[in-house]
Amino acid sequence: MKGLALISRLRPFGESLLAGLVGLAVGAIIMLIYGFDPIEAYIALFRGSFASLYSLSEALANATPLILTGLTFAIGLRGGLFNIGAEGQVYVGALAAIAMSLFQLPAGLHLIATLLVAMLAGALWSLPAAILKLTRGVHEVISTIMFNWIAHFLAYYLIANILVDPRRAEKTISILPSARFPILVPRTSLSYGILVSLFCAGLVLFLLWYTTIGFEVRAMGFNPAACRYAGIKRWRTALFAFVIGGFTAGLAGAVHVMGRPPSYAIFSGLGGLLNLGFDGLGVAMIGRNHPFGIVLAAIFFGGLMSGGRLMQISPGVPLELIRVVEGVIIIALAIPELVRLFRLFKWPLIWRRT
Amino acid sequence: MTVLDHFWGILFISLHALVPITLAATGEVLGETTGLFNIGLEGIILLSALTGALGAEAGGWLVGLLAGIGTGMAIGLIFGLISAYWRGDQLIVGVGVNLLALGFVAFELIILGAPGFHAVPRAAQVPGINTPIGRDLSPLIFVTLALPFLLYYLLSRTQLGLKLKAVGENPAAADVAGIRVNLLRLLAATLGAGLAGLGGAFISVDWIGSVTKEISAGRGFIALATVVFSGLNPLLVLLGGFIFGFFESLATWISTFPGIKEIVPWQVVAMVPYIVTLLVVAGAIGRVRFPAALGRPYIRE
Amino acid sequence: MKGRIRLLTLLVAVSLLVSGLAVMTGGASAGAALKGRVAVILDVGGRGDLSFNDMGFKGTDEAAADFGLQMDEIQSASDADYLPNTRNAAVSGKYDLIIGVGFLLTDAFNTVAAEFPNQKFAIIDSVVDQPNVMSIVFRENEGSALVGALAAMVAAYYGYPKVGVVLGIEIPVLYHFEAGYRFGIAWGNKKYEQVKGTNPNIGLLWTYTGTFSDIAKGKAASEAMLAQGAGLIYNVAGPLGIGDLEAVTEAVRAKGQEAGPPFMIGVDANQDYLGDGHRVLASMMKRVDRGCYKAVADVVHGTFQGGIVSLGVINRGIAISRYQDLLDFIQFGINAKAITEADRAKIISNWLEMRGKIPYWIWDAVSELEMKIVSGEIVVPTANTVEEMQAVRAQYPLP
Repeated sequence: MKGLALISRLRPFGESLLAGLVGLAVGAIIMLIYGFDPIEAYIALFRGSFASLYSLSEALANATPLILTGLTFAIGLRGGLFNIGAEGQVYVGALAAIAMSLFQLPAGLHLIATLLVAMLAGALWSLPAAILKLTRGVHEVISTIMFNWIAHFLAYYLIANILVDPRRAEKTISILPSARFPILVPRTSLSYGILVSLFCAGLVLFLLWYTTIGFEVRAMGFNPAACRYAGIKRWRTALFAFVIGGFTAGLAGAVHVMGRPPSYAIFSGLGGLLNLGFDGLGVAMIGRNHPFGIVLAAIFFGGLMSGGRLMQISPGVPLELIRVVEGVIIIALAIPELVRLFRLFKWPLIWRRT
Repeated sequence: MTVLDHFWGILFISLHALVPITLAATGEVLGETTGLFNIGLEGIILLSALTGALGAEAGGWLVGLLAGIGTGMAIGLIFGLISAYWRGDQLIVGVGVNLLALGFVAFELIILGAPGFHAVPRAAQVPGINTPIGRDLSPLIFVTLALPFLLYYLLSRTQLGLKLKAVGENPAAADVAGIRVNLLRLLAATLGAGLAGLGGAFISVDWIGSVTKEISAGRGFIALATVVFSGLNPLLVLLGGFIFGFFESLATWISTFPGIKEIVPWQVVAMVPYIVTLLVVAGAIGRVRFPAALGRPYIRE
Repeated sequence: MKGRIRLLTLLVAVSLLVSGLAVMTGGASAGAALKGRVAVILDVGGRGDLSFNDMGFKGTDEAAADFGLQMDEIQSASDADYLPNTRNAAVSGKYDLIIGVGFLLTDAFNTVAAEFPNQKFAIIDSVVDQPNVMSIVFRENEGSALVGALAAMVAAYYGYPKVGVVLGIEIPVLYHFEAGYRFGIAWGNKKYEQVKGTNPNIGLLWTYTGTFSDIAKGKAASEAMLAQGAGLIYNVAGPLGIGDLEAVTEAVRAKGQEAGPPFMIGVDANQDYLGDGHRVLASMMKRVDRGCYKAVADVVHGTFQGGIVSLGVINRGIAISRYQDLLDFIQFGINAKAITEADRAKIISNWLEMRGKIPYWIWDAVSELEMKIVSGEIVVPTANTVEEMQAVRAQYPLP
């Protein structure tokens, strides 16, 4: 019996692995069609992602915000909400962090204050969607898409006006050194911001699995009808999911601008902030909406991104292929039949049990 | 120039801007009526802008438009298969399609040798027609204006329309009545995505005359907003598409207009349609009702 | 062949200028073993814009071919890529020279150049103050003044009340363009008054679109400007010019014609060959290609030195497009698949006809301005910060 329990625990892991392989296989097929050598490319991808301390650090640097946005989506889905508002909350969090550098504060205090304000900003941006859901029944997919776009244009406005760097109009002012995360591994992009992400993953794990409210959230996602019967309040769980999700998404924006050398600023056009929220969704999917899985999946995604840079230099495969692989993985994960399709071919026992 | 002249100028640009939004939204209304919620419109528009351009280069504008429609239908078919027959998660498939398109279009543009953009030769673009309201107008504008009426007729006046609505409202009952639920959903998803594909091809083969890696510029999401705004009424889709197109054009207009651009930031104007949509769906203007089975796969008990 | 000779002359001139200015030492000694590779790092704009990025690519490519080097091209998908891309190239140790094409790479080059003091770098459009970085900058304000004067006089000649400029992301480099253009329009207005007796008071419509890639924005902005009476649209946003030209073409067609007005004014490369040769009146050429070529050549010849290389009208690093440029760049357009060989003759004859329709005195006036800039009699204003730009705007409001 113990073995069976282990197998059922490993099953989501196996599914993600399978989807990952499908994604890489489709990537390889595309490379073959366009006349690239997929083996050479994947070797370069690996070298650029995990083969050295330098590349591993780059992968972790990319993973830093993705862990946080992955958590946002996962908390929502655990509570039965499809909250894709992380994208906009990331912008708002990053803007709030930048705004904090309009003030001078002592070193450590400045960093903590900036993180707190960015967190609050993310949560505030997430709250209206929760309220609309609870009071007017507006589906969160629609409201969060709208709020993402409003945040997008708000960011354009603030970058060009209030927060603009007077000497370098293409970007906002930089985060002051007193509020920056120090670099963790010298000569890489990896900063101490990764610790914030890991801490949040641990915290969410604790909140969702070891507290009453966390149990209620998960129960709501699992079986809303039974929850209503049991008297669990929907507004409590929904608010919890949105607010905690807003905290982590806001933090994602903040750690990106506070811990990403060399500019520590937002560029007009939003640049590196774009798609952090949507990539987080993919991370959450691959990580099966579990904090532990999310950390692994984010490192995997981050590795694809940094490895992709090397792949474009040596075999010359365009960087963008990585996004294709990402998209295929996500689609593959949406197919519950995928595993069953593969089972037809007498795959290992792990997938036989349901 | 008088205020009226400016107004006509903006209106004229809006006529083009509304086309991709309205086409995609009309298709999405068809899909959502049967219960399928496709948030991959953005990806479909982007990908079919690329295939449309390649098709037009290979065989003229008609081939280009058809290539766009074909691309949309192919994605719609896959989307329909996964969400109807395999009971996959529709929202997640949509997100996957968006990412995939984003990557593939940028990838293909690099392969084509000019990563920044790919231009469609003038000769391969849709020829404009001269009308009493303006010269060199795209014929697709008129197609776009007509389609919502067609869909309205289909949904409210025909047998097929009733069946489509039944599938979205109560798939179990429809199944009992002998309607093939999943087949109709697949059909609606495919045709609907085909319209989004036409919208994408319009951008590259007609309106802008080139593809960039971000040519869709959020129009797929705006189309989703338009659908919500309309409450699945095709005629309101037309109105919504016009409003969104108008504000898109107005925002650009303001950003070039001396005297106003210093006072009203264009970014604020660009936000207005999203805020309006939120207000509309929040019930400030009227209750919107969606099919009961929207977003859920049908599982026979 | 002729082009090559002119290029060499230029190189000699530039080298003299630079060696006169620069006092840096410590460059690699001549004859040091070459690794045989150069890297070009592009910013998010990416290649295919038929202007800025393609020019950087062209210059490096030509130099690589001439000196038998291999060139690797590194694209950036977002601004989070600049630092890792630059660092990857430096870490690999494979490159004799790493060229950054674009201002947005400034911070990344500043960081990495300090980490790898023995690696040679060159950056276009920005000043990176490190001994191993050659900073190649242009005085775009001078060329923009020339096209501004031309635009104002041509608009007045054809009876348009305004001229327009569609700019990209608000960066200091673009302030050079805007400042010069404003000065040029004001100069053109005054010149027109001297010749014709009345000041046409040509006004300026301008917008920063916030993008170097969304062509649709270029088109929409140009449409808005044309509808407000702009007779010429100056493209200062790389690929957005494709959209600008679409709008211009449609406006021309709506009049039932093929040749402008209205016209577009090209940027960076010579873009006169676009629009069948008769809808782009002139281009403000910024010879990014020559800058890149020079950097590679200096490395090969062992004369590479860090410091600033400033190119302007005086050393033909900045110029308004002429007939010979059209001939050179038609081939560039054919290579980029923007036009085909079959278009060549038609483009040339259309271009000659278009230019011929503009009165002689206007071209003379533009030459006069050019001479005065070269001689130093006229110093064209420029701007690098928001405040400086606002000062120029206040001085030349051009309502």
